[in-house]
Amino acid sequence: MREEAGSVKMRSYMAQLTRGSRQASAGCIILGVWVLLAVLVPLFWPWSYSEQNAELQNQAMSLTHLFGTDKFGRDIFARVWYGAGISLLIGTASALINACVGILYGVAAGYAGKYADMAMMRIADVIASVPSMLYVILITLTAGAGAGSIILGLCVAGWIDMARIIRGEIQRLKETDFAAAARMEGLSPLRILWRHLLPNAAGSILVNLIFLVPQAIFTEAFLSFLGVGLAAPSASLGTIIQEARSQMLVYPSQMICPLLVLCVMLLALNAVGTVAERQLRRGKSL
Amino acid sequence: MKVLEVQNLSVQYHTGNGRKKVLDKISLSVKQGETAGIVGESGSGKSTAMLAVMGLLPENAEVTADEISVSGQRVIPGRDIAMVLQDSLSCLNPAVKIGRQITETIRAHKKCTRQEAKERAEELLEMAGIRDPKLRMRQYPFELSGGMRQRTAIAIALACEPKLIIADEPTTALDAAVQAQILRLLKRIVKDTDTSLLVVSHDMGVIAALCGRVFVMQSGRIIEQGAAEEIFYSPQQEYTKKLLRDTRGNRYLPAGSRDGEILLRLEHVTKVFGTKDGIRDISFDIRRGEVYALAGESGSGKTTLARILTGLLKPDSGVICYKGEKVEAAASARACRGKIQMVFQDPYGSLNPCLTAGQALSEALKAHGEMTSGERRKKAEEMLSLVGLSSEDADRYPEEFSGGERQRIGIARALISEPQLLICDEALSALDTATRSQILELILSIQRKKGIACLFISHDLPLIRKISSRISVLYRGRMAESGDTKEVCTDPWHPYTKLLLNAVPRPDLPTARKARPVLPAETVRGKEREEGCPFAELCGYTMECCRSGAPGLYSFGRRKIACFLYSEEHTGRRTKGYRMTSQI
Amino acid sequence: MPGYTFKRLATGLVSLLVLVTVTFFLVRLIPGSPFQNGGVSGRVVEAVEEEYGLNEALFDQYLTYMGNLVQGDLGVSYQEPGTTVAEIIGRTWPVTVSLGLIALLVAVVLGTGLGILRAVSKRRIVREGIAAGGMLLAGIPNFAAAILLLFVFSVKLGWFPSAGLLTPAHYVLPVLSLALYPTAVISRLMGNTLAVEMGKQYVLFARAKGLGRGRIIFTHALKNAWIPVLNYVGPASAFLLTGSFVVESIYTIPGLGREFVSSITNRDYTLILGLTVFMGTVVIAVNLATDLICAWMDPGMRRSYSDK
Repeated sequence: MREEAGSVKMRSYMAQLTRGSRQASAGCIILGVWVLLAVLVPLFWPWSYSEQNAELQNQAMSLTHLFGTDKFGRDIFARVWYGAGISLLIGTASALINACVGILYGVAAGYAGKYADMAMMRIADVIASVPSMLYVILITLTAGAGAGSIILGLCVAGWIDMARIIRGEIQRLKETDFAAAARMEGLSPLRILWRHLLPNAAGSILVNLIFLVPQAIFTEAFLSFLGVGLAAPSASLGTIIQEARSQMLVYPSQMICPLLVLCVMLLALNAVGTVAERQLRRGKSL
Repeated sequence: MKVLEVQNLSVQYHTGNGRKKVLDKISLSVKQGETAGIVGESGSGKSTAMLAVMGLLPENAEVTADEISVSGQRVIPGRDIAMVLQDSLSCLNPAVKIGRQITETIRAHKKCTRQEAKERAEELLEMAGIRDPKLRMRQYPFELSGGMRQRTAIAIALACEPKLIIADEPTTALDAAVQAQILRLLKRIVKDTDTSLLVVSHDMGVIAALCGRVFVMQSGRIIEQGAAEEIFYSPQQEYTKKLLRDTRGNRYLPAGSRDGEILLRLEHVTKVFGTKDGIRDISFDIRRGEVYALAGESGSGKTTLARILTGLLKPDSGVICYKGEKVEAAASARACRGKIQMVFQDPYGSLNPCLTAGQALSEALKAHGEMTSGERRKKAEEMLSLVGLSSEDADRYPEEFSGGERQRIGIARALISEPQLLICDEALSALDTATRSQILELILSIQRKKGIACLFISHDLPLIRKISSRISVLYRGRMAESGDTKEVCTDPWHPYTKLLLNAVPRPDLPTARKARPVLPAETVRGKEREEGCPFAELCGYTMECCRSGAPGLYSFGRRKIACFLYSEEHTGRRTKGYRMTSQI
Repeated sequence: MPGYTFKRLATGLVSLLVLVTVTFFLVRLIPGSPFQNGGVSGRVVEAVEEEYGLNEALFDQYLTYMGNLVQGDLGVSYQEPGTTVAEIIGRTWPVTVSLGLIALLVAVVLGTGLGILRAVSKRRIVREGIAAGGMLLAGIPNFAAAILLLFVFSVKLGWFPSAGLLTPAHYVLPVLSLALYPTAVISRLMGNTLAVEMGKQYVLFARAKGLGRGRIIFTHALKNAWIPVLNYVGPASAFLLTGSFVVESIYTIPGLGREFVSSITNRDYTLILGLTVFMGTVVIAVNLATDLICAWMDPGMRRSYSDK
């Protein structure tokens, strides 16, 4: 009774999500393992991700160096998990920022309606009609390589999908009878929004948020692969793959390992997102 | 000769958690040229039975039957058997032109050229009562009105050249006047083409109007069958009796005096939208403790009016006075907020799925007055017990309640802020017949107990007649007629009121079977002419002046009417003691 | 409808303007001068900058650039003096566009087919197999796909050539690596919408009137299901263009993408600017075209605009 409606809804939603499907639980477990490794490996692994060692160049996989070493003698296992951590961090951070901006913008547009809504949506259209990757590249070029500028670049256009969806949801929910009843009761618009509209949009928000993360991780990896992402010595999966490319023919494992880690991460995120989306659709059709 | 023969049909669904039996060994048959009806409440399995007969159930349904045959042969959908569904908008493909949808049906059953199919389609549309079929063939479904779409669906069914048409709730989604037309069309088709018809409906009135034989279904079983006369005059089963009783309804005593203090007064309220239904120049008043009724079909603007009264919309012009004070300034608007509450039509959409019943009720209290959460909770539980729910129900979410229970919560929510006026916007129309009378009784008993006024908005004139003391009839956003309910409903003056009264099929055989004056087939939809009486196109009494200007509101005692038949020009200058009588 | 066309065109033009302006200022704000390589004295840099008009006020440069742009002049490359940006674009776009179009075609055909199969197949294994496969493919980034395909089919197996774009065989791997992701997306879109459509009342009604399953799928359900796919063509074209950056560099294909990557490495500002403007324009135009086609083709959408 005293619990906030949104959190209750969200929790039951998560419970449904994990209980209902093997796919989702597999995705969640993989993600959990990935996050754990990304946190623990840089802390406890005997080798550092950045320390170069001329005697250990291009070693094959072994028990001491699980994924081998690269051309500078750095331990790839350490580097990969450090990079995975950076990727996850950038992905989650930018997804959260995008979600916040998108929700605020969408709520404002959806709730304001009429001309304000039209103007705001046209602005969003304009921003969205240019491929966001171009912005991201230009911004990282302008602001200099680094996690900050990548996140900034990702946030230029990344919020638009969220904003559109939230606006649609708010518009739909605003017209429902229960919203009308709440207005009739004389509740303030903010309270109606917080207590009646947003909890009902929680499912859509969650699904979108889950999908924003792999998108951001992909974009970051893409940029780092192009060479406009993170600057040395910090490394992400994209940079590690890029560095290994020159030696692909001789030492393919140097590239395959980070690639697999990246792909499995994206796959797990997508799997969770897909299940969440399916649950949401099912819930709506009932 | 038997056209349809069904023996021991059972259906069970395989769901995630086991099997669910929906139909239990039902047997029925339909003779040639006969109209049979299946009646039952929602959830009784009547639609499932029809889909099972057609072989159209989804894969997770297990169908067993000793026999399902149409004229002695195995059922193949579309061959000798055709179907008309309830919602004509969703059963026509929105992206395919009407013409295509008919010709493809013709060509699926008969080898013929495109041209022949087209000519046949035009014939069929004409047969289904659609004017100008050439034009309609080129249109998309959304360009037609609901009645025309249902006619098109019937034309498509006819294109299969069936021996049997199954009509599943063919008129439920339609307005009363259009419903009467479709019923007449179905009757005519049966007579002209010697097709058998199997009507599925929850509405005893529809069954009475059409059927010669009736099957009564309850929870997956046929519990009674027989000729219509037997079912209507001497029903054997308790359930059948209850169904008939519920539709006929009890007589309620209109409560409240019509001379009490004026609670709410509307003067010339107008609200016009671009395309949606607006209202124009509406004036009436509601007195303390009375049940006032607003009657009208979809598009009459009654919902717009409800939204204006509850403060959700602002009128373009006109004055609304609450207890003699103008509701305009923000301060007084807030003061009267909460004093006018509403019960909504759709019990599924009117409750926030994220809030428990208790939360929804205490939310309503939060806006007014300082109360602790304990007090709010206590009050909420009181309200729940008032509407016949238990205090444990306070912690349940809407999805755990049935439609009727949800409507009870909706009523509790409306009443918790102790309103002076309760608006019921079609509050019963989404409910089952049995639930309907329970909820109606609940509303009326609370209304009487608390002495609040009630504005009852509905398209169901017979219902309104039973419960309200005064009535206004709306047509396309304008007032057609208003006055004491008893007078208006026994002696309608406006042609539209008369039509509404006659259009509702009654569950009495003689009245239902009697041919009644019905609107001519619809012409163009939505082409409401700005000048002129809105009803002029459909009215049987149209005069020259009806098309050139809108009639004013003529007052005769407590009765007001907007029709030129009652104007001074038409009836002549009246002497002082002149008593106006019905002109139609 | 003309109202909608006009509005949509206007939005497109504004997008274009914003694109050019933002790109111009962003590129000018990139720190450092393109001519500040080692071994060049400050005087020379100043002289060169003056020749290219880089010492003028930023806003004047912008106006000049816009003026030239209207006449179709995108400026001169800094790294290849004497070559105009327009010439470079003219040289490279046919390669990229042919790759992109083929990839788009493959994605649409394959994606739609798989999507239909996924929605209507009676065999559970087919439905779930396509769904799982689609998810798997959608999880592989295009550069990873390009590298893996190159590694397996060209280096290890030697089935396809690894560089250049001379014969049809050269096209196979680049097109595949570009088309994988859009194929997965289209099959998901198609599968989802078609499955929803197949559950609707009009499909039931069509079955009741005796139409065959194939007819219902192709003449009824698909008519309502292809809109999301067409809507995706705009984003897909953006994806293919940016995808060409990595695919063309990995397969050493002389296209727009590789030119863009090298212009970034060389800090060739006019070229970055020109290529961004060009690619942005292409994407805006594709978005515009698909939106207009959708509006024309979909009677429901046409209604919602004529009502306004």
